[in-house]
Parts: sequence; structure tokens; C-alpha cells
Amino acid sequence: MEERAAIDRSTRYPVMFFFTSAAAWLLVAALLGLVSSVKLRLPGLWDDCQFMGYGRLFPAHLNALVYGWSMQAGIGVMLWLMARLTRNQLRHSVAIIVAGHIWNVGVTLAVLTVWFGYGNSQPLLDFPRWIWPILALSYTLAVVWVIPMFRNRRESLVYVSEMYLVGAALWFPWIFLTANILINKGTAPVMGAGLDGWYITNLIYFWMAPIALAVAYYIVPKIAGRPIYSYPLAHISFWILAFLAGWTGFSRFMGGPFPAWMPAVSGAAAIFILVAILATVSNLMMTLKGCTKIWEYSPSLRFTVFGMAMLALYAGLSAVSSTFALGKDLQFSHFLVGLDTLAVYGFFSMTIFGAIYFIVPRITGAEWPSGKRIRTHFWFSTYGILTLIAAMLIGGIAQGGNMAQWDRDFVTTFEVDSAYVVGRALAWALIAFSNISFLYQLALMFMGKGRKSEGPTLIHAEPGEVKSAKAAAGLS
Amino acid sequence: MKSDTFWKLIGGLGVAFALPLIFIVMIPFVAQSNVRPLPYPEGQEVDGGMTAYPDKALYRYGSSDFGRQIYAAEGCAFCHTQVVRPTYAGPDMWRPGWGGRESEGLARETRPRDYLMEEVAPLGYQRIGQDLSNVGHRITSREEMHRHLIDPTSFDPDSGMPAFKHLYKESPFGKGVEPTAKAEALVDYLLSLKKDQPLPDAVSTGS
Repeated sequence: MEERAAIDRSTRYPVMFFFTSAAAWLLVAALLGLVSSVKLRLPGLWDDCQFMGYGRLFPAHLNALVYGWSMQAGIGVMLWLMARLTRNQLRHSVAIIVAGHIWNVGVTLAVLTVWFGYGNSQPLLDFPRWIWPILALSYTLAVVWVIPMFRNRRESLVYVSEMYLVGAALWFPWIFLTANILINKGTAPVMGAGLDGWYITNLIYFWMAPIALAVAYYIVPKIAGRPIYSYPLAHISFWILAFLAGWTGFSRFMGGPFPAWMPAVSGAAAIFILVAILATVSNLMMTLKGCTKIWEYSPSLRFTVFGMAMLALYAGLSAVSSTFALGKDLQFSHFLVGLDTLAVYGFFSMTIFGAIYFIVPRITGAEWPSGKRIRTHFWFSTYGILTLIAAMLIGGIAQGGNMAQWDRDFVTTFEVDSAYVVGRALAWALIAFSNISFLYQLALMFMGKGRKSEGPTLIHAEPGEVKSAKAAAGLS
Repeated sequence: MKSDTFWKLIGGLGVAFALPLIFIVMIPFVAQSNVRPLPYPEGQEVDGGMTAYPDKALYRYGSSDFGRQIYAAEGCAFCHTQVVRPTYAGPDMWRPGWGGRESEGLARETRPRDYLMEEVAPLGYQRIGQDLSNVGHRITSREEMHRHLIDPTSFDPDSGMPAFKHLYKESPFGKGVEPTAKAEALVDYLLSLKKDQPLPDAVSTGS
């Protein structure tokens, strides 16, 4: 117990730094998402102001969401979880915090340059080319410590979570360097565009999914108090994802100027990955069998389970849209935006919220101030993401169907589909609202103003009333 | 024992990543980096004295290249694609003017060589607005193109396109607005967008 507390304490400052700045970026991203959606629905609004164009707001929103929120939150979770699992204290806190500051400078530049009109219209890689080395270097300086920690782990058994964390730590720099170096070389124009799609899909399957799964494989058995249902299944699913994710992405350009085998191979890879994801999610659900009542009380488990359900939905929809029959009509429609956002907010962010609700009390030595605010965060995030998915996926199908009809005028298809953008704006408003309460609580914890009492903060239970979510659910 | 599993994991991850890196990234990338303009074979008659596909007149210098940067910086590609798919993938070729000059029998889907003058092909993210592969054929007058940028609703009251007023400034003569250098460059770029050049006989059946 002493040892574990010492490990938790050793991660406190770097991990809290990453979580808090990530949450602040998430709020910025949600607001940019709201404003850009409003602008897309009402094109005449603010058209005197160059900073309010959709073509600048939307990429700035994407950069803030991915590099500001999801990368930083992922790095924070990775540092803590690796220290916990390998039973090593986190060293080099100062270097990691310095790296975190440099990363934030990089993200600020990436958002502002695009917003101020120096972008190049390639989603998520659209900042000027001198910015990517800043991001690459500060990422390395923050994350490189995970590898020696894993090497010096205190148990010979390798946890599946550790495999996912090592994978994510290495995969991100591999895809980031490949995409940036080749695209900036600029010698193969069509491959440059294809590599951007490859990068986005790989960011989802090689960064967001592994981190979310590492969290789920840790939190679900931990809170349920029993081992993972099947270790072999967990290992097989890991290697299926590892071997297939690198082939995805080119199915974004069906019928585009690529050799026909490239979108076909990418589509097939996305369909096979569905097998791995479904196996993983069922594995986790089987682990929870009979303990599902806990998620009524435990914020961590509730967010994580919801995130896993969204992961299965994402993998299913991306497999469906990878088939030529549907994909050719859905590409270039709102469906794509819905799918990308489902990945970032639906499964990644929701799972990470679960991890943050678990981690922060342990490293700060205080409990969350209010279970009611956690409930607000959960429900408004859920309303937000479900609204967004419904609006964008149904809107995308409507738009794709309209565009597939040769005798329908292109302009009328726009009029029909723009109604769905209202749902997108509403969704980002809900998400922004829910994250105000998240950021508020996180800032209190950051400043050491958490609740100092026995017993965790749970949903549907008075603070300190019960010892654990499991006890609240009457299972122990 | 411990370091053994460590290297097995790292090695496995390396192999798993190297395969797609080689086969779906590097080989197509290198292959495409070596694509050069294709000369027309002797005996094939082409209008305008063009000798190769893509024609050197389609390469951009000066103002239209600056316009390409404005197009990218304003994020036009988030709503406009520049790719015309073959008919098996969608009805792009039925949309008037998307595939090029139909009246002259030149309309076709876009091919990899159509983008040789770009650093990165602006294929686009979503299709909120019209495809712009051949907008230089659909709109040929500078004045009309300017009007599309500053007052898109004058063509269609329901247009979803915003007016790019910040690219225009008040006229010093007190009447209306006049384009900045950025707007002129953007119009130069848009007028240069043409992807319906006749294919040399050698590629019209292949890629």
C-alpha cells in the first residue's frame, strides 16, 4: 500500500499538468466546434471577419481537439498507468513537465496559424511545416520514459494494458513522422492526400483505441474485482489490431485517383479490425458479467463502459462504410465527420474521462468535490455525442443518398442536408456545457481543493457513505 | 527472461508496422514520385499545340501559385473537392461541367497525372459545395469569378457559401469594393483549374 501510494505521488505533477491543460483545450475545441457548426448552417453570419470562416474554424477545432485534448490526456493516462502497472516510480518529472509546456506551445501555434490563415487544408496536418518538429520532439521528451519503465517492470507477467501502452507510445511517432516527412516532401501529390487520410485513421486505431483499451483492460477488472475473462483472446485481439491498423485509411477515397487495390485493401483491413474490436469489447463485458450494477455508482466504470460501447459502434460503422457498396456514397458526406467525431469524443474521450475520474483522486490524495457534477458531465456528454452521431450519421446518409442521384440538382442536396448541421451545433453546445463542469472540478483538484474525507465520490451515493462502488452496488 | 519478452514485443510491433509502411505507403509513394508528364504519341492530334499530358501551361507560377496558397489557407478544401470519380463510384460525370467540356466530348474522371503540378492534391474532405476540378471551364470570366467569391447568393439565393469579404477592400473611388492581391490570386488559381486535358492514347485505357 505504501509503495503504491509512493508511485501515485511520483506521477502527480506531470500527470495533473497534462490532464488540466488537456481539459482546457477540450473546452476550447468544443466551443470552436459549436461556432464552426453555426457558421456552416448560417453561411452569411460574420462574413466580414476573416477569422470566422468555416474553412479556418473547423481545422482549428480539429487541431485543438486532437493535439490539445486527446494527445495530452492520452499522455497523462499513459504515464500514470505505466507507472502503476510496472510498479515503478515516475522519474524525470521536471523534464516531462517542460516537454508538456513545449507541447502546449506547439498546439497553440498549430491552432493559431491555421486560424490566422496559414494552414494548408490537410485535416490534422494543416499547420505550417516548421511546427511538426516541435510536436515530435516534445512528445518524445514526455513519453520516452515509458519504454524503460516497461523494461524494468517488477513482474515478469506482461499485462495487456502494458502492451497497448507500449504500442501507442511507439505508433504515434511512427505515423506522425511518416505522414509529415512524406507529405512535406511533396513529390507524390495524390499519395500526399491519401497519406492524410491514412494518418487520421491510424491516429484513431494506433493512438486513441490503444490508450482507451489499456484503460478499459485496467479499470474493468480492477473495479469488478476479478481477472480478465480471457487472456488469450485479449492477446489475439491486440495483434490483429497491431497488424491491420496500418493498412487502413485509403478507403476514404473510393474511386479517387488511386490504384483501385489501395481503397480495397484499406476497406478490408477496417472490416477485419471489427473482429478484433468486437472480441475485445465482448471480453471486457464478460469480465463484468454479474457486476453491471456497479456502473450505476462508479463514475470510472460508467464512462469506460460507455466508451467501449462507442468503440464497438465506431468499428462497426467504419467497417460498413468501408464496403464499396455504401462507402462510395457516404464519402465526402457528413457521415465522415460523424465517424471521426465518434472516435475522438465517443470512445476515446469517454473512456479517458473514466480514467481521469479514477486517477486524479489517487495522485492528489483528495476525492472529487461533487458526485452530482460528475453525473452532469456524464449525461450532457452522452446527450452531446449521441445527438452528434444521430445528426451526422443520418444527415450523412441523407446527403450521400442525395448526391448519388444523378437527376437531383446538387444545390438542392445542400438545402436538404444543412438542417442536420443544427444537430451538430447543438451537440457541441451540450459537450461544451458538460465540460465546463468537468474542467471546474479538475481545476479544484489541481489546486488541491478536493474533498478530504474517507470514501470515494460516487454517483447516487452520499460522499463518504460507502467504501467503494462495489460495496454501494451490494456486491462485496 | 524479462528482456526477452521486451524485445519480442518491440520486434512484433516493428514487423506489424513495417509491412503496411512498405507495401501501402512507401512503394506507392516512390512509384508516384517517379511519374512524369507523358508526351503525346506521334499521330495523335491535340488542340492548342500541347505536347504532353499534363500540359506545361497547367503548371502554376506567380499569382496563381499564390492563389493556391489562399485556397488552402481559407480551408476551401473542407467544403470543395477536386476529384471527379468514374461512373462506377458515383454520378459525378452527370453533374453539368464537373468532368470538363462535355460539348467537346472531353469530359472524363480525374487521373493521377492531373495533379502533377501540385505538391499535395487538394482532393478535399467534404462535399458541401460543387466539385472544383474543372471550375476554370465552367466560369471563364474574371468578373463572374470575383462575384462568386464576394456575393455567392447573387447566383443562387440558397447557396451555402459564405462571402469572402475580407479578400476585398473599399474602392478608393467611393463606389463598391475592389479585390485585394489575394482575391486576384485566388481568381487566377480558380480559373486555372482544368482537369479534362485529352489523354495520350497510351493512358486512355490504362491508368
